[in-house]
Amino acid sequence: MSNPILKVENLHVNFNTYAGTVQAIRDVSFDLNEGETLAIVGESGSGKSVTTKTLMGLNAKNASIPDNSRLLFKDRNLLDLKESEWQSVRGNEIAMIFQDPMTSLDPTMKIGMQIAEPLIKHRQMKKEDALARALELMKGVGIPNAEGHINDYPHQWSGGMRQRAVVAIALAADPEILIADEPTTALDVTIQAQILNLMKDLQKETGSSIIFITHDLGVVAGMANRVAVMYAGKIVEYGTVDEIFFNPQHPYTWGLLNSMPTTDTQVGSLEAIPGTPPDLLMPPKGDAFASRNVYALAIDSKEEPPFFRVSDTHYAATWLLDERAPKVTPPLQIQKRWARWQEIQGQEA
Amino acid sequence: MWKYILKRLLLLIFTLFLVITVTFFLMQIMPGTPFNNPKLTPEALAQLKTTYGLDLPLWQQYLNYLIGAAHGDFGTSFQYQNQPVSMLIGQRLPVSAQLGAQALVVGVIAGLFMGAASARNKNNKIDGTLGVISTLGISIPSFILGIVLVYVFGFKWPLFPVSGWGDSFSQTILPTIALAVSPAAVTTRFVRSEMIESLGSDYVQLAKAKGLSAKEIVNQHAYRNSMIPVLTLIGPMAAGLLTGSTLIEQIFSIPGIGQQFVLSIPSKDFPVIMGTTIVYSAMLMVMILITDILTAIIDPRVRLQ
Repeated sequence: MSNPILKVENLHVNFNTYAGTVQAIRDVSFDLNEGETLAIVGESGSGKSVTTKTLMGLNAKNASIPDNSRLLFKDRNLLDLKESEWQSVRGNEIAMIFQDPMTSLDPTMKIGMQIAEPLIKHRQMKKEDALARALELMKGVGIPNAEGHINDYPHQWSGGMRQRAVVAIALAADPEILIADEPTTALDVTIQAQILNLMKDLQKETGSSIIFITHDLGVVAGMANRVAVMYAGKIVEYGTVDEIFFNPQHPYTWGLLNSMPTTDTQVGSLEAIPGTPPDLLMPPKGDAFASRNVYALAIDSKEEPPFFRVSDTHYAATWLLDERAPKVTPPLQIQKRWARWQEIQGQEA
Repeated sequence: MWKYILKRLLLLIFTLFLVITVTFFLMQIMPGTPFNNPKLTPEALAQLKTTYGLDLPLWQQYLNYLIGAAHGDFGTSFQYQNQPVSMLIGQRLPVSAQLGAQALVVGVIAGLFMGAASARNKNNKIDGTLGVISTLGISIPSFILGIVLVYVFGFKWPLFPVSGWGDSFSQTILPTIALAVSPAAVTTRFVRSEMIESLGSDYVQLAKAKGLSAKEIVNQHAYRNSMIPVLTLIGPMAAGLLTGSTLIEQIFSIPGIGQQFVLSIPSKDFPVIMGTTIVYSAMLMVMILITDILTAIIDPRVRLQ
């Protein structure tokens, strides 16, 4: 299980703009193990989309990445690749499922052909062979009567069906890593579940690793093995899905979990994290979350917290875990989650 | 599809009828008379009016014209005695149409290439240079360009003949270039902006994520999507080019129809004004119909009905 296929080390991504340098990714490191699903969670602007674009080599031209950042995949640093070398990685070894199926497909090209394109490019298949394989892929992603629809254009399909086509495109060349960038955000809830189940089933078949980007913790619970929580261009907490859900340590993770409505939530009392994320043109000193954090300590505004070990798989970057820190009582919802964690631990022991 | 085209053609005939009606009565408002030679005696003038049917009541003239037009008889020119308008147009329109078609093909193809090159190199030197060239191409009038071409390639380095028509293909080169520059520049600008929009779209992001090269993305995805709005520009442009350019025809001594149209107005040559107006309107509508059909072929979302 813990055999990393991709290692991200000290990733920094800066964007040079007229207003100055935006530090979109500030020292992110994580491993992606073979066959696992890693969820990257965070609110808008936390840097999760930039992380995925960097993994695909698709950042905007004004992005700059320092030399000590490394993306290790199959004994090479992807950040050293030339554009032509990237082209043989994209869609072939690392593929991506896009967010909005309504705009991600070319409106003027037949869907079968759009699925066949990566095969023609990466497998040097003839058009007819690639289309035959595209038909199999369409069946594989659950498109009914695929034979009758291979020559359809995108506008003839519903959003859910189009997202299946987008999944088929990503799977076409049998990639080792699949990056799903909020693949269900633009879909109805019922269709969301279908697409998520489809991805799980396909992962079982192909054994590929998935990086699942989302802001929806509800989706994470059913999909991921491990979770990394991102805030202001950094990972602030990571662990297994149970550790993050039932033993969260970072106040930001508490906030995220708290703002997820449950059946206990009273009518008219949706929780939110106060304030807005910091401006990454000038990231604050210390803990970037401090200004929105009711549990912030004096040291948070002076010094950035390192990762504190919670377990072998679970780390969180908050001074609250320092032995000198005062013991704080988390919100009630989180206390309940901790109690549940104790039960789980008790059962396992 | 065929039913739709038939419907559009019927609509075209109806529109032509409206054009004829409006033009016919507008011409009556124009001051002056076609026969303004001071030497004409009143008897001779009356004689002329009878010959051309201008002494009849207006409604009868109108009716006669309509009946004639329905039979393909568009009257006889006042200026060129005994020349039927249909013959006049029949001789001159093909000349203008050939020149216009050459200019259209050259202009549009050049525009497609330059526009795409500009979009792919957005905001760098290539884009900037092409931007200056296309701005010049739009702002320099074709007749100035024509004169410059005559001077440079006809006089300074006499590579091409500078006047006449129908003797050799080389005669058509300079007027074609002079006429093609403006459509090329307009197409360049338009293709550039459409291509930039297309290259920023989600489906191009997905094409990149498939591992396609920049060239493959442009050829397989961006061009076709950019062409849809560009076609709407090319239709009216084609109609304008195919019906001749007065100034270019004047400079290169080309016996086209553009000259005819303009000269017929001050001389109040009613049948020729009517004839050329009908030709221009019909050409414009046919081009728009062709544009619509091509759009439906390129864009699967468009249905002809």
